Amino acid sequence: MKILVPVKRVVDYNVRIRVRPDGSGVDLANVKMSMNPFDEIAVEEAIRLKEKGVATEVVVVSIGVAQAKDTLRTALAMGADRAILVTATDDVNVDLEPLSVAQILSKVVANEQPGLVIAGKQAIDNDMNATGQMLAALLGWGQGTFASSVTIEDGSALVTREVDGGLQTIKLKLPAVVTTDLRLNEPRYVALPNIMKAKKKPLEEVSLDTLGVAVRSRLTVLKTVEPPQRHAGVKVGSVDELVSKLKNEAGVL
Amino acid sequence: MFLNEMQEEVRETTRSFVDNVIRPAAEALDREERFPAEIYEEMGKLGLFGIAVPEELGGPGFDTLTYAVVMEELSRGYASVADQCGLVELISTLLVRHGTPEQQKMLPDILSMKRKVAYCITEPEAGTDVSGIRTTAVRDGDGWVLNGGKIWIHNAPVADTGFVLARTDKEAGNRGMSIFIVDLHAKGVERGPKEHKMGQRASQVGALDFSDVRLGSDALLGEMNRGFHMMMSVLDKGRVGIAALAVGIAQAGLEAAVDYAGTRKQFGKHISEFQGVQWLLADMAKDIEAARLLVHSAATKIDRGQDATRSCSMAKCFAGDMAVARTADAVQVFGGSGYIRGFEVERLYRDAKITQIYEGTNQIQRMIIARELLRKGARA
Ligand SMILES: Cc1cc2nc3c(=O)[nH]c(=O)nc-3n(C[C@H](O)[C@H](O)[C@H](O)COP(=O)(O)OP(=O)(O)OC[C@H]3O[C@@H](n4cnc5c(N)ncnc54)[C@H](O)[C@@H]3O)c2cc1C
Ligand SMILES: Cc1cc2nc3c(=O)[nH]c(=O)nc-3n(C[C@H](O)[C@H](O)[C@H](O)COP(=O)(O)OP(=O)(O)OC[C@H]3O[C@@H](n4cnc5c(N)ncnc54)[C@H](O)[C@@H]3O)c2cc1C
Repeated sequence: MKILVPVKRVVDYNVRIRVRPDGSGVDLANVKMSMNPFDEIAVEEAIRLKEKGVATEVVVVSIGVAQAKDTLRTALAMGADRAILVTATDDVNVDLEPLSVAQILSKVVANEQPGLVIAGKQAIDNDMNATGQMLAALLGWGQGTFASSVTIEDGSALVTREVDGGLQTIKLKLPAVVTTDLRLNEPRYVALPNIMKAKKKPLEEVSLDTLGVAVRSRLTVLKTVEPPQRHAGVKVGSVDELVSKLKNEAGVL
Repeated sequence: MFLNEMQEEVRETTRSFVDNVIRPAAEALDREERFPAEIYEEMGKLGLFGIAVPEELGGPGFDTLTYAVVMEELSRGYASVADQCGLVELISTLLVRHGTPEQQKMLPDILSMKRKVAYCITEPEAGTDVSGIRTTAVRDGDGWVLNGGKIWIHNAPVADTGFVLARTDKEAGNRGMSIFIVDLHAKGVERGPKEHKMGQRASQVGALDFSDVRLGSDALLGEMNRGFHMMMSVLDKGRVGIAALAVGIAQAGLEAAVDYAGTRKQFGKHISEFQGVQWLLADMAKDIEAARLLVHSAATKIDRGQDATRSCSMAKCFAGDMAVARTADAVQVFGGSGYIRGFEVERLYRDAKITQIYEGTNQIQRMIIARELLRKGARA
């Protein structure tokens, strides 16, 4: 079985985010970028399935600017076999909408015919949490979102989902789309020799024209604002004072 | 300097391992003076030893610049761990360049830390002046008999295999020394107690004593009587490694100082708002950057096969002096806290000092720089 894993290049989670002065978005020029952490979990899961003999090939795909090649190389160094870059823009500030990404991915799926797509549940830049679901809908495949465990048996995937208040296990007929949650696995550190080897693994670049899709934006960003500054706390003198403040000022009691 | 994509990726990979595994462990390792076998085992799996060992001999096959990047990042986590990486790099460089195919078969075990190594040069009467060594290897049948003693040998209390410089021709000075591969579990090898050091306290350093240790015909590394020259031939790389290690210590100090200055309040303000503190931070940052550039330039010269001796000595000397001065600044930014055990900067200051001493003292580096200037001219 072939597994397809979409990976997104996002602002590194350690970067202190700054909003562009005109409020049109977040400042992405000269900022450290990395693989979306949920996608790292997806790559790790796919590689583990290959190591267990369940999968035969792991293909990673990224959609966006040429710099996303670095992200793909990281996935190859982790252990993916092959990479595809869909060049969709040359502007690092463009963030493709989930539906566009899902449409592009559905074309890649048509070409690659994977038995399973494992995606991150969301990207940590825009937190849309939609691409995996939309892809499943476009393909007419089953979906197992927020996965904390994935087992493949007899043409099905058993997916344990992290739902409000507990866990839910569902059985999906393959092919299917799975999206990863934080507790699915802990991605490995890349071994140095594999960085060297990743250089030699195939990385194919395709254009939107070749895939036959056009990107259309449906959403307009009105403004982007910094979160409000946190104010210093206050010290209370007694339990009574605390209870009264919680009741009268915070309104939580 | 300007790293390529792959060097950047190596840096990122090493950094995430360092941030998650090494840096959090450093305080306890220093306090307990403990050999972190479990960290080394994991590093072995990740290919963090023998950075420049070619792929066909079991290493990742990177260049000297990549090695310097790894050393800085490891040292930013804990200098003792970086020094272990530097030691393995030196030994494996010697084996790659001078070892027989049979001897090179031990490389995979060395890179996975299954076989711990020691580089044994220094003796009580021979520190800076290596020509004073008294350890001898005397011909005996098709092998040798080794007698003498070494001091301050990194890994001596734990090592399996020593690479020992011994005199093989009394009359021939620097042309009368050879390097032998010695099984440290063999009969006649005694280990002294572990030394208690000022810094880099997870590094196990001690003495080795050899009395009538029998060596087989396969114990000689490289050519007979060329030991001194073989040792000198890896010095440039060793110096780049220690220079990068010094940069890593200072970088950790800078990060800690910037964080602290942004949170500590006196006179109703963050101390980062006082110009006196700002200038400390600025001087730290600019000297660290200058040292890093020297390191990268020296490493690049080695990789391009250019004469790198002056550059390597300048990098080692500047970076070592810088690390001592700038970790002292980091302590200063922390005020009294910086003087208390358990605060990272207190350890960093202690860890920095040895970078002016080992791998050729900084006096010797200045001698080399001057000698090169006077011999080859002052032009850049
Ligand atoms: C933690 C630690 C780890 C070590 N690890 C190893 C190891 O793994 N293997 C190994 O073989 N050795 C090791 N050493 C030894 C180290 O290499 C020596 O300490 C170093 O070479 C200096 O020699 P020395 O201590 O005898 O000092 P000395 O040579 O006695 O020097 C004393 C002082 O005199 C100065 N000096 C000497 N000659 C001159 C000169 N011609 N001109 C100007 N000044 C001069 C020196 O710069 C220094 O300041 C280690 C030492 C330490 C502390
Ligand atoms: C071993 C030891 C023994 C001690 N013994 C005693 C004792 O017996 N009794 C006692 O009362 N205290 C004692 N102390 C505390 C000592 O006096 C304080 O550590 C010292 O006054 C510095 O204060 P601090 O540590 O809070 O540093 P901070 O005041 O937080 O200073 C941190 C840094 O900010 C700088 N800074 C602060 N304000 C400014 C400014 N306006 N402009 C520029 N730079 C500024 C400082 O110079 C320093 O570099 C001791 C401390 C130690 C480490």
